[in-house]
Order: sequence, then C-alpha cells, then structure tokens
Amino acid sequence: MRYIEWLLLFVFGAVGIALSNFIGYGAGFMESLPGLLILMGISMTAVFCTKVIPVRMPVIAYCSLIGLTIASPISPVRETVISYVGAINFTAPFTIVGAFAGMSISNQLKTFLKQGWKILIVGLLVMTGAFTGSVIWSTLLLKISSLF
Amino acid sequence: MSGNKKTNYVYKNVRERVKTEWVIFALAYVFVIIAEMIGRKDFKIGAGMFILFPIFYAIILGIISGPHVARIIKEKHVKAASGLVIIGICPFIAKLGITAGSNIDIIIKTGPILLFHGFGSLLCIFLAMPVAILLGMKREAVGACFSLNREYHMALINEKYGPDSFEARGSLSVYIVGGMIGTIYFGFLATLVSMTGLFTPEALGLGSGVGAGIMMASSSAALSAIYPDKAETIKTLASAGETIAGITGIYMYMFIGIPLCNKMYTILEPKLSRFSLKKDF
Repeated sequence: MRYIEWLLLFVFGAVGIALSNFIGYGAGFMESLPGLLILMGISMTAVFCTKVIPVRMPVIAYCSLIGLTIASPISPVRETVISYVGAINFTAPFTIVGAFAGMSISNQLKTFLKQGWKILIVGLLVMTGAFTGSVIWSTLLLKISSLF
Repeated sequence: MSGNKKTNYVYKNVRERVKTEWVIFALAYVFVIIAEMIGRKDFKIGAGMFILFPIFYAIILGIISGPHVARIIKEKHVKAASGLVIIGICPFIAKLGITAGSNIDIIIKTGPILLFHGFGSLLCIFLAMPVAILLGMKREAVGACFSLNREYHMALINEKYGPDSFEARGSLSVYIVGGMIGTIYFGFLATLVSMTGLFTPEALGLGSGVGAGIMMASSSAALSAIYPDKAETIKTLASAGETIAGITGIYMYMFIGIPLCNKMYTILEPKLSRFSLKKDF
C-alpha cells in the first residue's frame, strides 16, 4: 500500500474509533481528536518503519514499541501523550476491528458450519492450550523471578 | 524502483480503493454504532463474570453481512476487509504501547523474564494433538495443532508444506474456527482460567499476549473488567507479552513449534490411530 492509502485508511478507521468512544463512553469527537491524531501518527510511523527497516518484524510490533517509547520517561512529550490518549477508552478502537474481522471471515461461514464438530473441538483445544500454557508459563517465570 | 513496485499495488490509485472500500467503511460505522448502543453486558457466573463486549456483536454483524447470509458485501469486499483489520489493530496496539510506556516501571521490573515469554503457548500441541489424532486427523493434525493458526502461522505452514498440502488444510481449518469464535472464546477462557484462582492477575495479563492481537485484546479486556484495580498492570503486561510474542513467535513456531508437532505426530499416530474415528473431513 502507498503511504497515502495507509493514511487515508487510518483516518477512516479513526472515525470509527471516535464513534465507539462517543456512543460507548460519551466522549465527544473533539475530546477524542488529539488522542486519535497521536495514535494515527504512531501507526503511520510504524508503517514507515516496516518499509525502511529491513528486519522482518510485524507492523504492530513497531506500533507497540513506538507507543512505549513516546510514553516512557525518556520522552519529552510523555505527559501530553498519556493524557490525550487516555481520553480514548481501552476497548474503543476495538469495535471497528470486530466489524472488519467479521466481514473478512464472512465468506468462510459455510466452510465453518460444514467443518463440523471435530475441527471445532480441535480448534477449541488449540486455543485453550495456547492461552492456558501461556498463563502457566508466565506464572512460572514470575514465580522464578519472584516479582509479584 | 517505483516503476517495478507500482505493479504490485492492489489498486491503481487511491480513488479506486475508495470506490471499492467505502461500502466496507460505511457498514463498519453502522455496525460500530449498533454494537456500541447494545453495549457491554456482564453475566455473573458464580464468583466469576462472563462479559460480552461490543466487538462480539460487531463480528457477528460482519459475518451476517457477508456473501453467505445477507449478501450486502461481495467477495471482493471480503478480501478488502481482511486487509483492513490491520488498520484497526494498529491504533489499538499503539494505545496499548502507550499504556505500557506509562507503566514502564512494571516492564523494567519484569524485564529479563519477558525475553522468555511465549513458549507456554506450545502447550496447545500437547493438548490438541492426541485428540486430533483420535478424531481421525492424519497429517492435517500437524498444521492444525502447532499454533493458534493466525495469518502468520498459516504463512509458515504454507511456506514449509505448500498451500495444497494436508498440513495447510489443517492449519486453515483451525484458522477458520479461530476467526469465527476465537475472540469470544478468549474472553470466556480468560474468565474461566481466572476463576480457578490459581493464577495472579499479573500472570493472566502477561499470558494473554499469545501473539494474536484480537485474542489478546479480548482476554485482557475481560481480565481488566474482572480485576478493575489491576487493570493497568494487566494491560501493560498483556501489551509487553504480545509485542514479544509477535516478534519471537515466528521463529519459535518455525524452529520449535512445527518440529515438535511433527515429533508428537510420529510418536502418537502409530499408538493412537487404531482407536481413531474414521477420517471424514
């Protein structure tokens, strides 16, 4: 995708986030705007990074690392960033993802229903194992280092 | 360079993209409005809580709008929508990164162990593989059980075995299950696992970072609602865990996940296959 396409799509996406933040949490558009601009800025920078840095790393890893950096104590804009982005509720960016995700799998519905209960069981076990294993492993790591 | 690259673009120009994709955005806005108006619903189960977030309704509405039910969107929109998921995920992860940055002390305290995060997810192989074989799966089981089978996992299997292989078919099957019910199930799972009382909110938060953004979001949102006073810590650790899993996950599944799954299959298949159900998928 071209940069301009990314930007345009992020803007359209931001409208969806603003809608969620407004209807779900009563935060007005103007209230959400600065936070949304920051999130779009980070996302665009992350896209830029994936294009210029020749390491195979997913775009969301850059989003996370850039967000972490500009909100960490080494950042001069830390307080501003935290307070503006704080106006965007945690689950607000999340609803439009669901809308896209739902549409993107809508042509698999018949396959899903046809696959039957056996695949469903295997899929559920895979998810159960991945999450539970991850939590058990985290518990062990945290215990070993006796942090919490 | 630009002359070469231009041929790879999906759309000739921005206008053409808008012409195709405006329908998706318009619908997405409508779904967001409906989903948010229904709002979050909490159901008490014993000591725990089962929570429905607006994203679940949005997913269901999205599926209904598709070519198999309401036929509002067509096949080309479906394809375009899958490219748009990342557009929504990016700001969400950026926000999580900011949460993590604002609680950097937790990250620093957790620092060294974060590097080892992610290996626990391999438990899915041990849990799912024996059952998959008993249910009659053959080589499909290797693709189905080695990971959560999100996009980048499927890419690994396709690279290794080819897109027409049995392994790739297994991978795709579980990918579809994950897409249809994964988000809802992860929220539910997080609630159930937390109800055992065996794990701290910190471990649950860190453990939520399994390398699948939308699933991490669902479980960490549920956990934040269950432990409101630990919400910041949970989100911070989930974000850190997810970031690490996103970076190291590819290599972990490439060098450990797939080989381990293969090993399990060669050991278990001869032993279990005589008890197996008939292969019928």
